[in-house]
Amino acid sequence: MKTNLEFGPICRALLRNKVGAVLIALQIALTMTIVVNAIFIIVERQGLMQRESGIDEANSFYLTSTGFGKDFEPKRIIDQDLDVIRNTPGVVDAIQINAIPISGGGWSMSLTTEPGDDQDDVSTAVYFVDTHGIDALDLEVVAGDNFASTDIRWRERNQPDWPDKAMITKALAEKLFPDIPWQSVVGKTVYIGEDEPVIVTGIVDKLQAPWIGWSELENAMLSPEKMVTESTRYFIRTEPGQRDRLMAELENTLANAYGNRLIRNVTTVTQTREQSYRQHSAMIKILSTVMVLLTLITAMGIVGLTSFNVNRRRKQIGTRRALGASKQAIVRYFMLENVIISTTGILLGVAMTIGLNMLLIEWFAMTALDWYYIPAGMAVLFVVGQLAVLGPALKAAATPPAIATRTV
Amino acid sequence: MLSMNNINKVFRTDLVETTALRDFNLTIDEGDFVSVTGPSGSGKTTFLNIAGLLETYTSGQYLLDGTDVSNLSDRQRSQLRNEKIGFIFQSFNLIPDLNLYDNVDVPLRYRGFSKQERHKRITQSLERVGLANRMKHLPAQLSGGQQQRVAIARALAGEPRFLLADEPTGNLDSQMAKSVMALLQEINQQGTTIVMVTHDPELAMQTGKNVFVRDGQISKHETLVPMALASNQ
Repeated sequence: MKTNLEFGPICRALLRNKVGAVLIALQIALTMTIVVNAIFIIVERQGLMQRESGIDEANSFYLTSTGFGKDFEPKRIIDQDLDVIRNTPGVVDAIQINAIPISGGGWSMSLTTEPGDDQDDVSTAVYFVDTHGIDALDLEVVAGDNFASTDIRWRERNQPDWPDKAMITKALAEKLFPDIPWQSVVGKTVYIGEDEPVIVTGIVDKLQAPWIGWSELENAMLSPEKMVTESTRYFIRTEPGQRDRLMAELENTLANAYGNRLIRNVTTVTQTREQSYRQHSAMIKILSTVMVLLTLITAMGIVGLTSFNVNRRRKQIGTRRALGASKQAIVRYFMLENVIISTTGILLGVAMTIGLNMLLIEWFAMTALDWYYIPAGMAVLFVVGQLAVLGPALKAAATPPAIATRTV
Repeated sequence: MLSMNNINKVFRTDLVETTALRDFNLTIDEGDFVSVTGPSGSGKTTFLNIAGLLETYTSGQYLLDGTDVSNLSDRQRSQLRNEKIGFIFQSFNLIPDLNLYDNVDVPLRYRGFSKQERHKRITQSLERVGLANRMKHLPAQLSGGQQQRVAIARALAGEPRFLLADEPTGNLDSQMAKSVMALLQEINQQGTTIVMVTHDPELAMQTGKNVFVRDGQISKHETLVPMALASNQ
């Protein structure tokens, strides 16, 4: 039997009994607003968390060695330590370094392409490395060359000047010289401070700065230096699967190799990443929980309203059955009623979603919502609504038609 | 038109088994106006529910317009109800949130009629019961008698061959009851078969046949000469 959809009568009936329907529509609108924006924020945060630092995170760790005593000779101990570490089986390479990528702490400076104090500058992170920096950090030199051993110098405490060579990331090369191919930046001179020239001798594919929230995260410069310091940090890259063993082993080896020092903060880069992105991770968990709870509450609201309506309208349903409604027609009636309520809520939700996104852009400098989140959110809320109404609708369809002749 | 042969209906619960109809035999011919009377609990409503395909029976044979309804699916029973049977209930069973037009429209939509056809039938049937000028009113804005007239219009709109009325005047005062009864007689005279369950012997006297049910069986079956409705106009 062909059945006409009861769109008009349902709309008119809803308008006469609108409180419950309006509350559910508002709940759907609010849920859509929050869920869509939350998903967008989550995806954005996940995108940030998935950015590659450029180093071999899974197989790298670092530690701090702090020497003390009058006879502590930083240069000798550092070279000796690096020699020991590099010759330990399972170690790929190791360096002394001033800062760890994505760790939250490090050095930065500004570079210009012309001397003078009125030049536009580009900010960059700076890592002090020796010739082993490329292998230890697992970088790829995509233009120019790695440092030669003769390029490496010792930087004394508070030494103001800079080596005359540097390697930079491809991203930094493109920012410094946007008008030429990045490969052509090799050999160019950049200036530190106002007029200290540094020649770019090589370009590495990727190396992130220590600060994950920094807008210039991809800008990094390698300076051919080792630091004369009592408290030094070694960055060690191991062969796959050797990291955890070597963390314990090298801590003991270094401690035993020279007694007057402390070995501290033996940390994997994986831990560093987790620590740095902890806020993002927490935000994702909170928003996910809120989203799931809100969607469940909305679904339960729909189940509750429909169940209430089914119980209230049992005699009406029985009468409809008596008048010729099949079970399918009864299910369709409640599904269609939900379509009308959900569509109202969803359309309101679209406006509220865009409104909230505009506020987030204004207040928190977020990026604009990608358009496809809106239809995706609409589809999800629509499906949730239909699934939520299905149980009560099937219960309604089970109402016996004989109930129509009962007087109580 | 309607033929029930040895129909039995047993209601079972975990503790109790109740026989509502016992070897119930009844034949109703096309154009009959039959009243079904009997004391409370005698099985009148059970008979009506089975006759109207609202309920299944435990055993026996029921032919509706020549169709054996024993093995019909729920969907087929719904279709048969919609096409062949009109229902009039004691408490009208109008849908309170729908206006008169939409109330009469309910069974027509299940029938799959076009919008134009539905409009024509709704208008005609509301005109027939004298309520065409109130089609946008809600049931609550009408008197009981008027509501029952709307229910009759709803039952007639699909042009059923068989009208089942369950105490159609049970919730009406005597004046309104007479008016509704007169309408039913008029409908019957135009060819629709009517079966009416009632407690009221006076109403039963106004039908062509009376079936008296007691303990789930027909105890008396008599042909009547309908009384004139002195005050039906």
